[in-house]
Formats: sequence, structure tokens, C-alpha cells
Amino acid sequence: MSTQLVQAVWGGILFGSVYGLMALGLTLVWGAVRLLNLAHGAIFVVGSYIAYFVVSRLNLPILVALPIGVLGAAAFAYLMHLIFIRPVIGKPGFDNSTLIATVGISIAVSAAAILIFNPEYKVIPPVIGGNFTVSNVQITKQGLLVIASSLALFGLVYLFLTYTRLGMAIRAVSQQQEAASLMSIPVVRTYGMVIAISGALAGLAGVLLSPFFFLNPNSGFNPMIQALIVTIFGGLGSVRGALVAGFVLGIFESFVEVYYGVAWAQPGVFLLIILMLILRPNGLFGIGEVRRL
Amino acid sequence: MSAQVAATAGATRPPLDVAAAPWRRVSPYTVGGTALLALVLPLLLVRLNIGTYLITLLILFFVQAVVAQSWNLIMGYGGIYSFAQVALFAVGGWTSGVLVHSLGWNPFFAILFSPLVAVVAALGIGLPTLRLRGVYVVLLTLAFHELARVFTVTGPRFISGGGYGLVTVQTFQFGDAIGDQRTIYLYYVAALMFAIATFVIWRVIHSPLGVAMTALRDSETYAVSRGINQFRVRIVVFAISAFFTGLAGGYSTHYNGGISTTIFDFPRIIDLLAMIVIGGWGTFGGPILGAGIVIGLDQYLVALGDYQTLILGLALAGIAVFAPQGLWPLIRRLYENYLAPEPLKPAVEVSPAAPHDTTEEL
Repeated sequence: MSTQLVQAVWGGILFGSVYGLMALGLTLVWGAVRLLNLAHGAIFVVGSYIAYFVVSRLNLPILVALPIGVLGAAAFAYLMHLIFIRPVIGKPGFDNSTLIATVGISIAVSAAAILIFNPEYKVIPPVIGGNFTVSNVQITKQGLLVIASSLALFGLVYLFLTYTRLGMAIRAVSQQQEAASLMSIPVVRTYGMVIAISGALAGLAGVLLSPFFFLNPNSGFNPMIQALIVTIFGGLGSVRGALVAGFVLGIFESFVEVYYGVAWAQPGVFLLIILMLILRPNGLFGIGEVRRL
Repeated sequence: MSAQVAATAGATRPPLDVAAAPWRRVSPYTVGGTALLALVLPLLLVRLNIGTYLITLLILFFVQAVVAQSWNLIMGYGGIYSFAQVALFAVGGWTSGVLVHSLGWNPFFAILFSPLVAVVAALGIGLPTLRLRGVYVVLLTLAFHELARVFTVTGPRFISGGGYGLVTVQTFQFGDAIGDQRTIYLYYVAALMFAIATFVIWRVIHSPLGVAMTALRDSETYAVSRGINQFRVRIVVFAISAFFTGLAGGYSTHYNGGISTTIFDFPRIIDLLAMIVIGGWGTFGGPILGAGIVIGLDQYLVALGDYQTLILGLALAGIAVFAPQGLWPLIRRLYENYLAPEPLKPAVEVSPAAPHDTTEEL
């Protein structure tokens, strides 16, 4: 096989799983809470900085830092829910308020990260080091770990939503909030749980991805935009859509990058999504119900 | 007969709703006084030690307020969450920048093309986006923002200037005026732009078009069923908004003598958003007030560095959640109590979720 092809496929699968991992959290929150969480990138950054802090200042191994970062991100997301999202749930201006509030939170987080640490690029060690080559393309073990954990998480989230009590409550709330509350499902608490879970996913993505992209106070922004695109491509609120769209877009971007140059990768993706929205306005697996926004 | 008497008496004009006769809520004395103040202000300020600095602040305020108002027109009034406003500003800036820089046109002539090209760009962005709703609009407009950024960084050299943007564009020249005199002229150009934009946006808000767009925001199904063409209304408003944003972009290029690619940085969007939110989202005066507050505070907070961004972010989130009306209602109440020509009728309580349920509407 030619080097280019292997590189494109490898990069595509890696990017795809990365986008999927980020998009999974976004799509969960959108599906259940109808909240476009523009602070998702900020939560990603919070998780990574906590892990960085644990590794570099407390000198603990990355395997200890990983769960701490994930839990920290989840706690941060839950805190955000308590302060800024819970007060407006059910109020008329919910869309406006939360959209702006999450934008505000995201810049506050990046400013706080600059103040606490500094604007320089940070390195988090990979969870597993080492690499091997397949026809001149370097394949890192960390990359394989990212792909594996992304797939595993999709499976877990799917099982969680289908078979557990809380998962069923989440689905009930996202389908019919009023009916769910009549069935004595604690709606607001379910919202909080979903946001915390989504935060944990973002934090995990942050810790796992930082060895690739390095870590700086704004490093969550680009993955978030990509995840948004993936979410919309796959259909907002659809877990399956996020998985498929993540790989489709990742591989597409990677092929464009390898064969036409890096400068065309992002414009290409944007053109693809614009075409997609004209042809199928609800995304690949979207449900026709977008009237609430 | 008695109706005629009542009509000629003038004193018994029936109190109308704001939307029905907006001009009756505006006192000519207030407008005249403000205009006179705006004309005289630079002549007074220039005598102060820091006068020139204050005038440049006012110019900055005019430019930002125009952009914030246009953005508020589509975001606050139209309910279209477009994040392409900075991109449209850049389109305007680059248009006249390239015309002057590469073709050697006069800036005063070139700037006339900024709003036109921005409108064309807005139509290009609007055609795929405006049929969509909410989040989809956010995402697609952010995508256009990103595309514009990539294009200005990696595009042809006469646009990208090698990745930095246009760094040496000829500035506005008024005969051979220099120093303070030139600053005063620049002030007048900016003030004129601001006045025109404000007036047109005020007219649009109170026109049938503006009412249609607010109706679409509040209850799309109802508005459409009353015969409002959703797409046409939105694209016209989007174009109007782009027109003034592009104009402000062109002015800013020739004022600063260039336009750099850092204009696409996220904090720029945040600043504009903060103006709208702090002043009052979906109110006429909100963005103007917000622009004044944000620009004024920036001068004090700039020493704080990154704490400023932190404070701004938290303020944005806090105001959006706990005081979504912003600060404008406070000012508005003062105006209505002391300066407006006739007292305001007590507002009819209409729940925004179901406007057609109230008997007063029908």
C-alpha cells in the first residue's frame, strides 16, 4: 500500500474517533437538555489542565491523573449547570441565555487558565508511549488507545442509555419532558446528570488528546468546532449519528489533507457540511424535530 | 363634527402603542440636543489635555456601536444566531482595503463599495443558512467565519498580504489637515456613519419589516400562518445588517491604516457580544449603551490584563442568566419619565410563548 493511502486512512480514523469523542458529549446534552453547550471546549481544557497539574506539579503518573482530570471536568460541568443553567430551565429565553452564558464561561475559563498556568504550550505525557510503523507511517500506541476508548465509550453510552434506569430517564426527558416529569422523573436532576456525563466525556477527550495537540488555554476551541460540525452532520441528539459522522468527516478531512494539502482540509469540511445541510437539513440520523429552536 | 374638533384640538391625541407610532415616543429636543452635543463635542474636547485621546475613543465607540447595532438587529430582533458578523466586518474592511491598496483608489470612493460587497457576502451566507434554525445557524455562520479567516490568511497575496492582512493601507486624508484637525474630521465621518446607521436601524425596527421579523422571532408558526414570508424577511434584514457592518469595516480599515487577520480572533466576537448583552439584547438602545460601557470599561480594565477577560466572561454569563434584559431598561425608564413627549401606556402583559392567546392582540 502506498504511504499516502495508509497515512490518510490512519489519520482519518484517528481524527474520526477524536471528533466522535467530543461530539458524543455535545450531542447528549443537546438531545436531553436542548442546550447548545459552547463551553464544551472549555470543559475539555479544564480536564486537561487538571491532569497536567496532577502530572507535573504533584508528580503522579498519568494513569492517576486521567481519572482525576475526568472527574474534575465532570464536577466543573455540574457546577456550571448549578450556577448558570438551572436558574433558566423552563424560562422563555432559555436558548439565548444559555448560549451566551456558555460563551462567557468558555472565555472565562481560558482567561483563568492563562492566569493560573501561563499561555505557553504544555505537554501531557501519553498514557502509553511508543509507536510502530506501517509502510513508513508512524502509528502511535496512544492513537490506538484513543480509537479504542472512543469506540468503547460509544458502546458504553449506548448500553447506558438503553438499559439503565438513569439512561432510560435521560431518554424519556429528551423525548417528552412533560410526560417524563409526570412519570415522576426528576427532570432537573436528570439534566444535571447529563451535563456532568458530557463533561466527563469532554475531560477524557482532553486528557487523551493533549499529547497530540499540546495544551494551551484555547486548545479546546478547535475540537469543539469540529465536534459541532460532526454533531450537526450526524444529526443533533443522535448518538449513532455522532459516531458515523465522526468517522466520515475525519476520513474525508484526512484524505483532503493528504491529497490536496492542509489548507484545504477545513474549507473542504465546511463545504461538505453546507452541502449536507442543503440536502438533508436534519443530518444523517437526525429526527425531524428541530422546531424548538 | 365632534371628531373634527377632537382632531384639530391636538391635545387629546389617543395614546398609541410604541410599535404603532414610534416617532411619538421621541422628543425632538432630545434628538436635537444630542446632535448638537455630538457636533460641538470634539471642538470642546480638543482643548483638553487628553482631548485627542477622548475623541479617538469616541470614534472607536461609533464604529463598534454600528457593528453592535447591526448584530443586535439580526440576533436580538430577528432571533437569528449569526456569528458571521465579524466576518462581514472583515469583508467590508478588506474590500475597500484591497481597492485602495492594490488599485490605488481614493479611500472615500473605495469605502462606498465596502457595504455593497458585504451585502453580497451576506446574501451568499444567508442563502444556505437562513432557512435553518437556531444551532444550525450558529454552526454554519461560525463555519463561514472560519472560512473567511482561512481565506485571508492563505488566500492570494493581494488579500492575505503574506498572512498578516493588509498592513499599509492609505488612511483618510482631508486636504492637508493633520494632527488634531484631522482627528476632528475623522470624528465627524464616524459620527455621520453612526447617525445614519442608527436612524436606519431605528426605522427598520419600527417598520412593517421589523415587526414581521420580531413576530417571526416570537412565534414562527403564528407569523408564517399570518402570511409572513420567513425567508425573505430574514434575508432582507440580514442584508441591511451586513450593509452597515461592512461600512464600519471599511471605515475602520482606513482609520487604522490597515486590517489584520487578528480581527478574526475569538475575543473580538466576545467583545461585540458583551456589548449587546450588557446593554440589552433585542432592545434598540442596548447595543449603543453596551458599546459605550464596554469601551469605557476597557480603558480602566486594560491594566488588569487577563483578569479583564475573566471578568468580562463571568459578567456575560451572569447577565445573560440573571438579567437577560441588560441595562437598557433602566435608561429607558429614566427617558420615559423625564424626556419623552407623552407618558407611556402601561404595557400589555403578553407571554412570549403564546402571543395569540391574549385577547388584546385580536
